Amino acid sequence: MAQRHRSLWHMIIAPVIWALHFLAVYCFSAIVCAKAAPFGWAQGGVLAMTAVALALIFWQAVLAWRQWDFLDDGDHVHERPTATSRREFLGHAGLLLAIVSFIAVTFVTLPVLFVGDCR
Amino acid sequence: MSASDVSPTAPGSDVLDSPMQGVWPPTPAMLASPVDPDLSRAQAKRLRKAWETPRGWRHVTAVNNTHVGKWYAMTALAFMLGAGVLALLMRIQLAVPENGFLDSDRFNQFFTMHGSAMMFLFAVPMFEAISILLLPALLGTRDMPFPRLSAYGYWCFLIGGIFVLGSVLFDAAPSSGWFMYPPLATESEGIGADIWLLGLSFIEVASIAAAVELIVGVIKCRPPGMRINLMPLYAWYVLVVGGMILFAFPPLIAGDFLFELQRSLDWPFFDPDRGGDPLLWQHLFWIFGHPEVYIIFLPSIAIAAMVVPTAARVPIAGYSWIVLSAVGTGFLSFGLWVHHMFTTGLPALSLGFFSAASEAVVIPTGVQIFAFLATLMVGRARMILPMLWIAGAVAIFTAGGLTGVMVALAPFDWQVHDTYFIVAHLHYTLFGGMVFPVIGGVYYFFPVIKKKKLSERLGRWSFWLCFTGFNICFLPMHLTGLLGMPRRVYTYQADLGWNALNLVSTVGAFVLALGILVFVWDLVRPKRHEPHTPRNPWGAGTLEWTHDVPDEPWGVRSVPYITSRYPLWDQPELLARMDAGRFYLPDAPEGLRETMITSAVDAVPLHVARLSGPGWSPLVAALFTGGAFILPTFKIYTPAVICGLLAIAAILFWLWTATARIPEKPFKDGGLGLRLPTYVSGPKAPGWWAVFITMLGDATGFASLVFGMFFYWTARPDFPPPDSPHADPVLSGIAALLFGAAWAATRLARGLNAAGLIGAARGSLLAGPLLALAGCGALIAAILHLAPQTHVYPAMVWALVIWTVSHVLCGAIMQGYCLARSLAGRMTAQYDADLWNTTLFWHFLLATCLIGTAMVALIPRAM
Ligand code: HEM
Repeated sequence: MAQRHRSLWHMIIAPVIWALHFLAVYCFSAIVCAKAAPFGWAQGGVLAMTAVALALIFWQAVLAWRQWDFLDDGDHVHERPTATSRREFLGHAGLLLAIVSFIAVTFVTLPVLFVGDCR
Repeated sequence: MSASDVSPTAPGSDVLDSPMQGVWPPTPAMLASPVDPDLSRAQAKRLRKAWETPRGWRHVTAVNNTHVGKWYAMTALAFMLGAGVLALLMRIQLAVPENGFLDSDRFNQFFTMHGSAMMFLFAVPMFEAISILLLPALLGTRDMPFPRLSAYGYWCFLIGGIFVLGSVLFDAAPSSGWFMYPPLATESEGIGADIWLLGLSFIEVASIAAAVELIVGVIKCRPPGMRINLMPLYAWYVLVVGGMILFAFPPLIAGDFLFELQRSLDWPFFDPDRGGDPLLWQHLFWIFGHPEVYIIFLPSIAIAAMVVPTAARVPIAGYSWIVLSAVGTGFLSFGLWVHHMFTTGLPALSLGFFSAASEAVVIPTGVQIFAFLATLMVGRARMILPMLWIAGAVAIFTAGGLTGVMVALAPFDWQVHDTYFIVAHLHYTLFGGMVFPVIGGVYYFFPVIKKKKLSERLGRWSFWLCFTGFNICFLPMHLTGLLGMPRRVYTYQADLGWNALNLVSTVGAFVLALGILVFVWDLVRPKRHEPHTPRNPWGAGTLEWTHDVPDEPWGVRSVPYITSRYPLWDQPELLARMDAGRFYLPDAPEGLRETMITSAVDAVPLHVARLSGPGWSPLVAALFTGGAFILPTFKIYTPAVICGLLAIAAILFWLWTATARIPEKPFKDGGLGLRLPTYVSGPKAPGWWAVFITMLGDATGFASLVFGMFFYWTARPDFPPPDSPHADPVLSGIAALLFGAAWAATRLARGLNAAGLIGAARGSLLAGPLLALAGCGALIAAILHLAPQTHVYPAMVWALVIWTVSHVLCGAIMQGYCLARSLAGRMTAQYDADLWNTTLFWHFLLATCLIGTAMVALIPRAM
């Protein structure tokens, strides 16, 4: 945990998951469609990947929420020159990024539900 | 310092166990104790001497960020004016129907060059120029971490830009549009397309170099105490944009590489008759192209994020939210690439993904605008001149964003694709997102740069001329587009109802141009007789306003200890203490240029870095690099190769003489009771970070080639062709083993060297390049029987091998360099930064080699 508190990398885990999910979904459906497998495979596979990605992002969001520690002191500005302020800032930004990534992953999945075939 | 001090630390595990000695953080009593004025004067004199800029014709050897940044920005501005003249000429041609002012070929050259120059020679370089110029000031540091690298980047940019833009004068410019779609561009006659590909690749390499430097600057050169949550927002944007450049440009360079192979050697990457596919270029181009739009527009938001709090006189509202939106946009913009290819007939499903991603990016973008509005509402806003430009920018950009949402809806795009609607949308985004904010930023930051103010009156004239001219020019184009006028036509018939609209646009273009000229005049008019500006004319709170008036060469008199986001507002004694030399590094007793390196997250002092001073090597290296890129456009290959070798020699000379120099003492007094190491290696050293970041970009380029292989496999039923021969598996396997051994030799050499077994380490460093070269030989032998001109499959295999082999050659040179350093006594058991960096390079190289050989010999068999 202490590691997470002073690491920039942890802040961007959620969007990195988004990026990997995006690539995986795009490549997977391209391959399934190109090799003329049934469209149901593409749908099923994409949904499974989305479930995994969303679960991971949610988990990151929980960790970030704890790191932010908002309910403890209600601080959302984090402008003090202290280790606490820095920790909470990284948590706060990480949480917001996790939320945006969650939404973005959902958006990327929607077409699979609405489009009926590869075309 | 013992060898164990430089224990490996994973990137990101912020180095808190720094070997600094003494007091940290400084106590209030220490900060408050006065500096003896005589001492301070003597220190200032020594510091001034160390940072002195060369005069006379040696001025071109200057590497200081304030000089290089100024040249860089003025050069980008000059290219912008050049591209603007082309735009005006186009508008003259389009003013009336069936005009004969420009013929069709000229017109094609002009719009291609206008678009390419605006994007590659103005928008991106301008960001890098302004950042190089201002970042050290914003961070209260002395200079960028690698001054000679900035200078090298600048000279490359200048040479490449003159070459590319100059081609228009010789009627030899590229003419296939700024995204160069094949087959139009692969088959076009003449050297225009080659100029585009090679000239712009050259500039892209320089852009990546600058991005690396900026990222390292933000991460490692912040003043002590400036934790990541206190960093000015501009620095956050530099970090994000630098990262985007790093991941967006390499796919384009990989595309250029394939494209140029097709043009000069006839390898059929984009030729459908021989298994190629033009869509691959479009993919690679737009993986770059859409982030590019955000690469251009985020820095402007960064400028706004500095101007808005000053205008409102309150801290920015929602700092974390803005960081979120910067980082979020940075990521999501990569999901937008196929957005530009809606009408090319991709499968509906993949189009859906991209439409979705286009909409997701709206969320973070909106957040930024709201944070600014909130700040302005909380504070007592003043309409200072820079703020006027920002406000105009927001108005224009919002309009552009709205039309953008329309374009993102896939069905609408089919309607307006390739009409003047797109031209209008594009310019609304670019002017609102880039031109206006940058001019506003120049008005705002000019006192820091030149110690004089720009004219308030001219500034307002310029603004209103630009603003009205812009709207007169581009607003009607929406309508022209809806009426069906296609873009990129050199003329049109009189009876289509487009005449009046076009004439109005042309008039507007000239009003706009007049506004820009007023601004440029204000910028360059002599100001010798005007008084100096006050030090903080806008009453801002950030560190750049601690600059010295009149100018001093040292960046900051002493590197401050920071405890606030707005130090000038919250730390009242700061300025006096900086000036007195109370803070860190107030002196240059050794006569060396030094700056402070701090830890990535908490800005704990780690190291006093000795920076390189003025020198010819960046300029010479850039000239030869230019030759290596430019001569092949004229099919002059032997001199090009010689230039390439000389460029490598020049770079080696520069590294040899100016980097990782063994200090005269391992620790030195950094001020305020702190003793810091004068040499570090591994993850503590900025140079290591630079290699790490560069290699991330390089890996992206390689990944793009791998993507290409898979792309052909999914896009073409006959890839690889069933009867095609494959690479020899045995030889490929041997190559992989040899590469692995070369990597192991490097890694081993580092361990042996650190353990003091110098002889063994040298042996290992000698074996390394031999193994690497043998590996190259084996890999080439494995594919020698494949004929790249026959089909895209062997061509792709060859491309991967060329990429791998050229990287291995670099790796071998680096091994040899370390060996030579060791023999010359410039690298020892303690002072081993070169070896650390080489090992890091080889870690990435090993991955490239293994994936490369697998892609060549294994994967195609399974496809
Ligand atoms: C004086 C201001 C400007 C005017 C009057 C202007 C005018 C034009 C015109 C007439 C075209 C060609 C449209 C066509 O025939 O298809 C064009 C294209 C373009 N402009 Fe501008 N422009 C201006 C400034 C800018 C700026 C500042 C940028 C970027 C930062 C820019 C980027 C582009 C791009 C990317 C294209 C597309 C080129 C292509 O089709 O390949 N322009 N502009």
